[in-house]
Formats: sequence, C-alpha cells, structure tokens
Amino acid sequence: MSALHDRLARLRAQAGAGALATPAPLLGATALAPRPPDALRALLHAREQRRAAPRPVLAAPAGVEVAAGVYLVERTFAYAANPRLMLPWLAQAPIERSRLVCFDTETTGLAGGVGTRAFMIGSARWCADRLTVRQLYLTTMAGEAAMLRLFNAWLDPAAILVSYNGKSYDAPLLKGRLRLNHVDHRLAELPHLDWLHPVRRRYRGVFENCRLATIERQALRIVRDDDLPGAQAPAAWLAFLRGESSRNLARVLDHNRQDVVTLMRLSDHMAAIDPAAP
Amino acid sequence: MSSVDATPTDRAAAPVTRLVARWLDKYGERISGHLQRPAQPARWREFPPDLAPALGTALAARGIERLYSHQREAWDHVTAGEHVVVVTPTASGKTLCYNLPVLAAVHAQRAKALYLFPTKALAQDQVAELLELNTAGALGLRACTFDGDTPADARQAIRLKGDIVVSNPDMLHQAILPHHTKWAQFFESLRYIVIDEVHSYRGVFGSHVANVVRRLKRVCAFYGVQPVFILCSATIGNPREHAEALVGETVHAITDSGAPCGERHVLLWNPPVINPDLGIRASARSQSMRLARQTIRAGLKTIVFAQSRLMVEVLTKYLKDVFDHDPRERERIRAYRGGYLPNERRQTERALRAGALDGVVSTSALELGVDIGALDVAILNGFPGSIAASWQRLGRAGRRQRPALGVLVASSAPLDQYVVRHPEFFAAATPEQARIAPDQLLILLDHIRCAAFELPFTSGDRFGEAPVDEFLGVLAEAGVLHQEGTRWDWIADSYPAGAVNLRAVADGNFVVVDRSEGRQTIIAEVDYASAALTLYEGAIYLVQSRPWQVEHLDWAGRKAFVTTTHADYYTDAIDYTKLKVLARFDGSRSGQGLCHHGEVHVVRRVSGYKKIRYYSHENIGYGPVNLPDQELHTTALWWQLEQDVLEAAFERRQDALDGFLGAAYALHTVARVRAMADGHDLQKAVGSGDAAWFASRDAQGRGQWRNAQGEAVAVGSAASFSPTLFLYDNFAGGIGLSEPLFHGAAGLVRAALDLVESCDCNGGCPACIGPILASDTPQPSQAELAVAVLSLLAA
Repeated sequence: MSALHDRLARLRAQAGAGALATPAPLLGATALAPRPPDALRALLHAREQRRAAPRPVLAAPAGVEVAAGVYLVERTFAYAANPRLMLPWLAQAPIERSRLVCFDTETTGLAGGVGTRAFMIGSARWCADRLTVRQLYLTTMAGEAAMLRLFNAWLDPAAILVSYNGKSYDAPLLKGRLRLNHVDHRLAELPHLDWLHPVRRRYRGVFENCRLATIERQALRIVRDDDLPGAQAPAAWLAFLRGESSRNLARVLDHNRQDVVTLMRLSDHMAAIDPAAP
Repeated sequence: MSSVDATPTDRAAAPVTRLVARWLDKYGERISGHLQRPAQPARWREFPPDLAPALGTALAARGIERLYSHQREAWDHVTAGEHVVVVTPTASGKTLCYNLPVLAAVHAQRAKALYLFPTKALAQDQVAELLELNTAGALGLRACTFDGDTPADARQAIRLKGDIVVSNPDMLHQAILPHHTKWAQFFESLRYIVIDEVHSYRGVFGSHVANVVRRLKRVCAFYGVQPVFILCSATIGNPREHAEALVGETVHAITDSGAPCGERHVLLWNPPVINPDLGIRASARSQSMRLARQTIRAGLKTIVFAQSRLMVEVLTKYLKDVFDHDPRERERIRAYRGGYLPNERRQTERALRAGALDGVVSTSALELGVDIGALDVAILNGFPGSIAASWQRLGRAGRRQRPALGVLVASSAPLDQYVVRHPEFFAAATPEQARIAPDQLLILLDHIRCAAFELPFTSGDRFGEAPVDEFLGVLAEAGVLHQEGTRWDWIADSYPAGAVNLRAVADGNFVVVDRSEGRQTIIAEVDYASAALTLYEGAIYLVQSRPWQVEHLDWAGRKAFVTTTHADYYTDAIDYTKLKVLARFDGSRSGQGLCHHGEVHVVRRVSGYKKIRYYSHENIGYGPVNLPDQELHTTALWWQLEQDVLEAAFERRQDALDGFLGAAYALHTVARVRAMADGHDLQKAVGSGDAAWFASRDAQGRGQWRNAQGEAVAVGSAASFSPTLFLYDNFAGGIGLSEPLFHGAAGLVRAALDLVESCDCNGGCPACIGPILASDTPQPSQAELAVAVLSLLAA
C-alpha cells in the first residue's frame, strides 16, 4: 500500500498538484491558498503516526443505542403554550401545535453533493405543555440507513416540518441520503415552514445579519453557554469516529438541541408578529 | 431490401473539374498530391418494420422516406441491445443512427436518453434538430440542453421531466454525477447514452472521459439500469478499439456508409520555395488567399480553415477587401470562431445553410458537426495537426451529391512539410489511432476519489479493470475516506469533482497577475509544465503580442506577478533535459541497435534565458534563472547504438551526435503524426541513458555535449559513448503514447529515414532534421549524418 501511496504522491507533486487530501480548486487569485512545500511530507508523517496507533473505539457520549450504530438522546422540557397557533405563512386557520416537527441536522460539511451526509438529526415536538427533544446520531457509518428510517418514522402524515434554511439545505440533503440508502420517505409530501425567509423579511437591516444565532440572541433573548459553533460539528464527529475524543460530539448534541428548541420559540415569536407589518 | 440510385449529374461539376485541371496544368510543381474519389451512389434500406407510425410520419415530414444502409444497420444492432460506434463521413446522416432508436424508445416506453457532445454549440444544434422531428411527428418528447448556461430554476424541471438531456462530459463530471440522487428518476429510466465526436476524446481529455464513463456506469448500476451506448466518430484508424476503451464494453463498429457522395478532389499544395538554402517557402497564407479568390470567383461556396483566431480575422479581412468592399452589396464573406457571441454564430450558420454567403473563414469551431449545409470547396490554411482533423475539415465540402474540392496548403512547419510530401497518408484509409490511458495513475486516483463521493466502495470492488483497494487505502490515509469493515465512505468536507479538470493530469496551473499601477488583475493562466519555461523572473510574457515582464514568481503559490513593459526584446528560456532509464518493460532489436520501452526519470532544468531583439533577432543578453528542477517519472521508448557500431560508422563522435539529434527531430515529427499527439505531449531527448550526459543543439545547430551538471564538455572526453534517443510522454505517470509507438517502432524508423532522404533541402532544414545555419555546410551534412543513424537503426 505504501509503495502506491509514495508513487502517487510523487507523481502528483511532479504534475503540480497539491497534497492527496483536498486539492483546492483554482478559481481566481483569491482561491489560491499557498501550498506548503512540505504538505506532502506532513501527509506522509501523519500517515505513519496514524498507522502506529490502531483506532480505539470510544464510548458514545450520550443516549441509548436504538439500532446498530445509532444512538437516541431524549429530553423533555416544560413548555406551557397555547395548543393552537396562527401561522399565516402556512394556512389561514389556526394550526395544532402538536403537528409541528422542528428539526435540524448536523452534517459532515457544507460542500454539497451526495457525498455530504447528516450524522445527527434533532427534532422537537410539543405535547400537552411539554416539549420533547429527540436526537439521533451515528456512531458508525453503517448506521445511516437505520437512522434515516427512524427519523422518517417520526413523520406522521399530519406532521408539519419547521426549520431554519431547511428547504434549501437540510431537506434536500436528507432526501439525497434517503435515496442513496433506498429508504422510501415522506419528506417531500409534508408541508414545510422554513423560517429563514419570513425572518429575513422581518429583520433585514434590523440586526447585523439573519443567522439563527443572531435572531435567537437579539429577538428571543436566548443566551447560550459554551456553545460549539456549528462549523466545528464535522470535525467533532470525525474526532469521535476516529477514536480521538468524544468531548466535542457531546457539545454538538447540546448545540443541536438548543437549535430545535429555538425553532419552537421562534415559531411563537413569529406567530405573535403580524406578517403583513414591515 | 436495398436498392441503388443512379448518380445524378450535376451542373456544378464543371467549375470544380475545370479549376482542378487548370491548377494542375499551371501549378503542377506546387501540387504534391492529387487524390480523387469517384462519386458513390446511395445504398438504401427500408424503415424497420417495427418503427412506430408516428415516427414514420415525423421522418416523412422531414423528407426522409427510407434509410441509408448504415442507419438501418445501427437500428438493428442498437435495438438488439448492442453497443455501437458509427464511423461514417461528414453529412452521411449519422445523427439519425442514434436519434431513431432513441426517439422510438422515448415514444414507446418513456425511456430516457443522455447525449454528450464535446461543445455547447453542438449540443444546442442537436436539440434544435430533435425538436424539429418532435414537432413534425407530434411526438411530445422533451429534449433539453443541460450545461453551464442552464438557469438554476430550469434545472429542476430538466432533471424531472427531460426525456433527452443533452450535455457535455464536464457537466456530467462536475454537476450531474455528484448530485445523482437529484437525477434519480432520470437514471432509473435511462436507456441510451449517446456520445458523439468520440475521436475528440483522446489523450488526457479522453482518459478522463473514460473514467467519467466508469463513474456513470457505476451510478447507472446503482439505479438498476444498463444503458446501451451509441457512439459516433470521425474517421480514425481504430474506432472500435477506441470506443471499447472509452466505455469499457464490447462495441460493434459500423463503418460502411450508405450515404451518397459526389466526386471529390483533394490537392496537397506546397507553396513554392523562395530560399532554397534556408528551406524557406512562400507563406501558406498568401497561397490560401490566392486559391480562395479563384474558387469564390468561379462561383464555388468556399470555407477556409485557419489555425488560430487571429489568423481567422486576418484572412477574413483579406477576402473582404476583395469581395465586400462595396457596402451597398450583400455581404459575401464572414468569419466564424470561438469567442463570438452565440447569436452571431447562429446567424452565420443560418446564412451558410441558406447559401447566402460565398465564403467563410473559420477555426476548428466549424470542424465538428455544426450544420452549415453544402459547400463546394474547403481550403486548409496549414495542417491541422492530425490526418483525422484534416479529413473532418475537408469533409465540410461536398455535402450531398455535388463534386467537391479540398486543398491542404502546407506551411513551412515540419509537420506540414512531412504530411504534404506523403500524399499516401491521405490516400490510405486512416493511419491515426486515437489513444487513451484510462488507468493513468493520477487520473485514476482523481476519479476513484470522485466515485467514492458519489457512492461508497466495498473492498474487492473494481473501477474499470483496476481493483480499488490500494487506492482506497491511500485515500483513507489522506483522510478523505473512512473505512468501516469492508465499506469505504466519503468523509471529507469537500466536493472532489470541483478540483479535477478533465483537460489536465493534475490541476496545478499558475496565474499571471498584472500589478502595474497598483492593479491586481489576472491576465493569463499557464499550465504547470510550461511555467518554468515562460514565467521565470525577468521573462517577457506576451498576451496578444502585448509585453509584460515577470517581476516575481511565487512558485509555491502558483503565481507570477508581472508589470507592463516596453521592452524591444523577447526572452527565450535555455533549458536542459536529462533522462535516466528506471525500468525496461520490453525491448527488441532495431537494425544494428536496440529499441526499448520502459519507465524513465526526466529532469529538466531552466538555467537561464536569452534576450532576443525583435526583427533583427540578435541576442542582446542573458539572464540567470533560479528555479527548482522539474522532475517527471514517465514512460518512454528509446533507441541505442553500441559504441563499436558507432565507431565503425562515424569518423568522429561529433558526427554521431549530430546524427542522433537530427534523427531525434525526424523521429519526433513522424511519431507525432502516428500518435495523433500535440508536440507538447510527446517530447524528444538525446542523452546517455543514465543521465551522465546529454546533448542539445548550440546556437549554430550543432550538437553539444553536456555533463550531468549542465556544463558544456568536449565531445570526446567521456570514456564510454552510447548515445540514446528518447521519445517520452510529457506527463507525470505517462499518458499511453509511447507504448504503441514502441510496437510500431520499426515503421517509425523507416518513415523518419524516408522523411530525411526525400527532403529537397541542402543538408537539413526545419522540415526534416531541424533548423541549421545556412552558412554551415559541413561534410558530411547534418542530414546525411541523420540518415546514417537512422539507417543503422532500420531493420
């Protein structure tokens, strides 16, 4: 194996390409990150280190194993609220709050395409003044199909999806992975309320941007403690998968849980606003 | 049932025949070859009995009542589930070979088809044609182009509703396959994959495309379909073999055209010699213009092919000065090339189809199958680099049954001169073989990476023929794949297709940044292999003949910073190449010497540069260059003669060395023609084979010996003397050119010998053994020395 590796690394260097890992596309001067001449050496060094230590298997940071390689974390919070709410973005009549499935995924990256997958799906659902947050996450790649099936099973025919940018990001990504794993699903049929656009219409120019974290802090007055930025989620899961550390994966669970709780809060906040107002 | 039509006599026959007779009479010494093909009648077959009536109606509405024999042959094989490659001349109705079975399947079973064309213009043409058939037969099918210009909101509709999606390999690679789940419905019903112009998929590009097809087949298998491939090609020497290499399946070749063709004359035209000492001839441009003026005046619709966009503009101006000087008259001459807006190009195509123009000047943009109707004369201003491309361009004249004339006007470039002096290449069916190397290591690795993104791999899987496990291991070590048991999943946060350019072995291009007056503008992009030769600090870099000077080269950052300059000189790199044989794969006797094929290590060093004044071309100074050596592990073939053989044949070592350099030049020329390779892709070198010394030509064109450090040394100083002549693939890892050349090595030596022996020059010229100084007339001459080396190597 290492003979081929060395040969490929040498040929790539001769042809002017970067390290084996992630050659950056060349799109104008801004994309031209300098390529360290010793990137290959670093790569080869890393390989030796990795080979020296066989991958340990870490304990899952939380939850119970509900299928091979899939863990479920469930938490319930008190959430006193009117069982119906007006969401004119969806319908003119009041909507049963219990139908709302606030969901959010954590993925292996933002590159797009079928190679990007969700390793965690969180959902919040309300019932009788209680908000139940259920989160599924993978401890092995092979658990993906089971996780997707479990998530799909939560989606009864009356469910209404609620997300932040989920129409353009989470839902298409999940649809691709469902298709790839041959799982029939209900995702495309269900109504989907994506708060990104209503929030933008309401708050553009009011706050510095319309990211969920900003809206949460400024409009909902929620303050997070020791939050792991979403951008670090892929690395956190990889670190766990490679047996390096499970600490940040636990923080991803916290982050994702807060996201879906925020979605329910945001729904109440927006319902209290007249959508026709500027 | 087949029938034969009588050839209709055509009144247009007279001018072409008259003109050819007059030229032969008047310019006989310039015409090195006159090839004639008699007219051929059409061979017809009936529509297949199972053709749906709606399709018959659609065809009848387009004036088609029966099929040419090859169209019916294609139908029979394709509908039997065989993969097919159709190789018939321009305007022989190739498109119906695939449109008919595709339309039938779409019409009857709502099957889907994917069409791939090398360019966007061809794709749009194809859709226009499909839509005409669709309207004519009220077939209700949806054909759409899917390319970089397709708006985002239209893409969703195309994915879900398109019956025939017309795209190109780059889109398939970058946009369709990495998002295949969005195309799930399309793939589930995909029945036919049409790949047209497959002769253009050769070398690096073809090797990439073969791997894109492997990925496509992998995705198809995931959706449970095994589509039939229908390929089309211009005439090349190995259509079936090439098609099979491209799609990795057994392919049936249809090479016998049933389409009629008129009488055809092809003239090989060599401009007259105006300086016999230097071997300088009148320019191809002046000759082409003279010929075009005569054909247009004789009422013949004429197309002139030029090699560059700039030359298109120049030639168009010359013709317009003659034919379009009166603005009140209708426009008779137009130019056509890449870089024009699509609308303008469509307008010219329509004018050509309608017969409203008398002359058009074009680049290769009109070489491919854009429909421009019937023309009478094709004039090639210079050899286009391959026989296949020449025929493709010559075929633009003589669509339908009119007599046609093609003229290849040679420039003084060696390849042109070689071709124009060997009319048998044009007479012989098709000598060129399209070659690809889909298992080139770097290209393979790139596509296994892309394939792993699209669908996970399992240990033991194959990609094409190659087992993937080792590659997966490499990618896992690099952190882009994650292994779990026997399964390998993509794990990185990147989009690998975005980093793989189908037209390069590895994407390491340099950008040239203009920072005059505080600007930061990119003015050019230079491929990695050329960077050391053109972007060293001090170099004058030219864009559209405007000079910039390189001030700083950031090698690691792949950037050259330049500022505008008014220098009255240009620069030319001084570089040395030394080769070392690493492994011999195969070998054979070659006359009194040996010929081998194997792996070599190439080191190229740019040691400095010359400043050369414009017009006078005098050398006005030198500059040093300090760049890392360029290294290359690649494949090569090489010839060697033992010391005792050389000592018996040559009085002095200098003579033998000059002979080797001349022989290398001639062999390189003929090998490029055989391998259908660009000069840049196949390189030549002369050295000792162990990198101890190597040879180059000095300013006088004489051989100079250099030691491993690149210092010039006396030619007799080394103890051992066994010069080695290399031809090598100029790509890290090789690109499959040198192996077939090795298997035809004896023929190469004979052809090179013939090239030098039959050259009319006095003792050597750029057309045979390379440029030498006119004043340099040693005895024996350099050409004679090259002949001596080649004779020793000839069996």
